[in-house]
Amino acid sequence: MDKALEIKRLEVSFIPAGKKRVKILRGVNLAIGKQESLALVGESGSGKTITARSVMRILPRSMYLESGEVLIDGTDVRKLTENDLMDMRGRLAGMIFQEPSSYLNPVFTAGSQIEEAIKDSEFNLGSSPLRGEDMVGVKARISRTERKKLVLKMLSEVGLKENVYYQYPHQLSGGMQQRVMIAMALINSPELLIADEPTTALDVTTAYGIIELLKKMMTRYGLSILFITHDISLAANFAQKIAVMYAGKIVETGPARDVFSNPLHPYTERLISCLPERYKTGERIKVIEGHVPDFNALPKGCAFHPRCPYKKEICLYKEPGEITKGTTTVMCFKYG
Amino acid sequence: MKNFLRRLKRTNSLSFYSLWLLVVLYALAILADFISPYPYDLQCREYALCPPTVPHISVPGRKLCGPVVYGIVVVNPAFKEYAFDSSRRYKIRFLVKGPERKIFGLLKTDRYLFGVEEPGKIFLFGTDLHGRDVFSRVLYGARISLSIGIIGVTISFVLGLLVGGISGYFGGRTDTILMRTVEIIMMFPFFYLMLALRAAFPPNLSSIQIYFLIVIILSLIGWASLARIIRGMVLSLKEEEYVLAARSLGISSFRIITRHILPNTLSYTVTALTLSIPGYILGESALSLLGLGIQEPYPSWGNMLSVTVGNLRILTMAPWMLIPGFFIFLTVLAFNFFGDGVRNVTDPKNW
Ligand SMILES: Nc1ncnc2c1ncn2[C@@H]1O[C@H](COP(=O)(O)OP(=O)(O)OP(=O)(O)O)[C@@H](O)[C@H]1O
Ligand code: SF4
Ligand SMILES: [Mg+2]
Repeated sequence: MDKALEIKRLEVSFIPAGKKRVKILRGVNLAIGKQESLALVGESGSGKTITARSVMRILPRSMYLESGEVLIDGTDVRKLTENDLMDMRGRLAGMIFQEPSSYLNPVFTAGSQIEEAIKDSEFNLGSSPLRGEDMVGVKARISRTERKKLVLKMLSEVGLKENVYYQYPHQLSGGMQQRVMIAMALINSPELLIADEPTTALDVTTAYGIIELLKKMMTRYGLSILFITHDISLAANFAQKIAVMYAGKIVETGPARDVFSNPLHPYTERLISCLPERYKTGERIKVIEGHVPDFNALPKGCAFHPRCPYKKEICLYKEPGEITKGTTTVMCFKYG
Repeated sequence: MKNFLRRLKRTNSLSFYSLWLLVVLYALAILADFISPYPYDLQCREYALCPPTVPHISVPGRKLCGPVVYGIVVVNPAFKEYAFDSSRRYKIRFLVKGPERKIFGLLKTDRYLFGVEEPGKIFLFGTDLHGRDVFSRVLYGARISLSIGIIGVTISFVLGLLVGGISGYFGGRTDTILMRTVEIIMMFPFFYLMLALRAAFPPNLSSIQIYFLIVIILSLIGWASLARIIRGMVLSLKEEEYVLAARSLGISSFRIITRHILPNTLSYTVTALTLSIPGYILGESALSLLGLGIQEPYPSWGNMLSVTVGNLRILTMAPWMLIPGFFIFLTVLAFNFFGDGVRNVTDPKNW
């Protein structure tokens, strides 16, 4: 069976004007099954957003997909023409972002922006709870009234009132804006949703509401979700699988419960031991010593070795390969 | 639109009333055929440089009557001295019958808004050197002066958005070529460029040819600065995150430019356009003033003023000939106030 998303040996380079090329993603492997959620965890600057944008093929101007494959439902997005890409975006995969306020166009109402996202005809997606069986494969233009009905239906799906249709982004709270983003991303019923830190900019209760909404939409739409966060406890709470990213590589991936309760990679271990709820009161806040490596000057061998308490001779000059231990896959010489 | 007006009234009432003033001015221009009592080229040579005939509703002896004008007495034809004889009264009548005219070349009418019984004359703004009614000429002249701004600005707007949008969005060599062209145009002072362009064409063109020539010259100059600013805005707007979001939704580049980027420049462009309309009106006036614009006998506010330039005798004897200048002043001011209000209102953050 095809995976909802499969990323194989993905490499992405950044070529700044007049400077040397820098590899940002250094062979990312990732797989999300159908109706499965995977949380991509890592520190700021580890390459999570770049991974997400590679999937949507909306990389910054100076970044290039070097090699590897990105398969959405079996379709390699690297081989798609510009037109097919446009079709893919929104229909096969949708994306929501960290700062909903700046990802909404300030001069249009929420309703008109969601409406704008509606694609005229169905791809090959089967039925969706929103449109019903009869809409499948319909190639005709959707009429204005039909569009509006669709948007109003979607608004109620994401827990917003009808009057939001007529409101401008700045009249909405952050949580409502994120719900509008979700409505936009899901209006064409894609099977894959990429959520790039959707709750980081929100307060705790609002964030909780968004998480609950994503869970609901997952079952309702048969969605698969790539959930990006730097909060590993949220990741364990939300997703079935966790992938931990460090300096442009997935260093550990496995079922959320296993990774969280029994972390294998030293970096994952530190991420978990640094969580606030783990300290007793009065104890100093723990941080991972050292800092995120500069992509211009990555350490040789294992990129984590300057910060790793378990480092061995071999870690300094050789990059570890993937090792499967039980349900988890890890990249570390500690395990052989 | 209704919203727009309501917001305009609330945030900037001066601008709101300016809009109404503009509406009235444009209505006068469109209805000139119906409102003006005389054709713009009708000469009453015996009454050249006659002062305004003031309508009266009461006559000496405090007796009220319908609106009347007094008869004009020529005191000294050589020195253009006139007096009014209050014993000769002519009733002002509304919806009077006269030779058939077409309102804006479309609607036939043989009735005008007002007129006066023969042989009385009504010159609300006096007459010019040839004895033509200044009031009627101001109305007909408004057609030139008021439309030149709108048409010129429309051409500038289209050119500016197009060139600015393409330049900013595609960048690279296209951008370089377009922007160097723009800079060359902007390098010349507006006034001299206008004169130079006008001089490149033969002086003896028909009125309609000159009209379009002026519009084209003015908008060829006007689009450059707009294009430059639009390009700068597009350059930064295309990096906006909502553009990224639109791309992630599979919206095409064309729609992204037209639906997401350019509308965000609208609050600027609409304001800039409203504020640049006076430039066109003044530009036409300046050309006409120098005799390079609209030719007699067809009136424009600019060429009506031109006879007064450097003619002190006329200025002191017949100050009513400056009335077209007052209308230019009024229009320019109204557009400026209106533009100010539009700036406030079109920015959604102010709602
Ligand atoms: N538009 C861009 N232009 C140039 N470099 C970029 C751009 N976006 C990201 N980078 C670089 O790519 C690397 C990976 O960035 P990325 O945004 O993927 O990190 P992230 O894991 O999403 O971090 P965060 O948690 O802060 O969002 C960083 O070193 C960053 O400096
Ligand atoms: S490979 Fe070596 S340095 Fe890297 S995490 Fe494992 S033990 Fe530490
Ligand atoms: Mg990020």
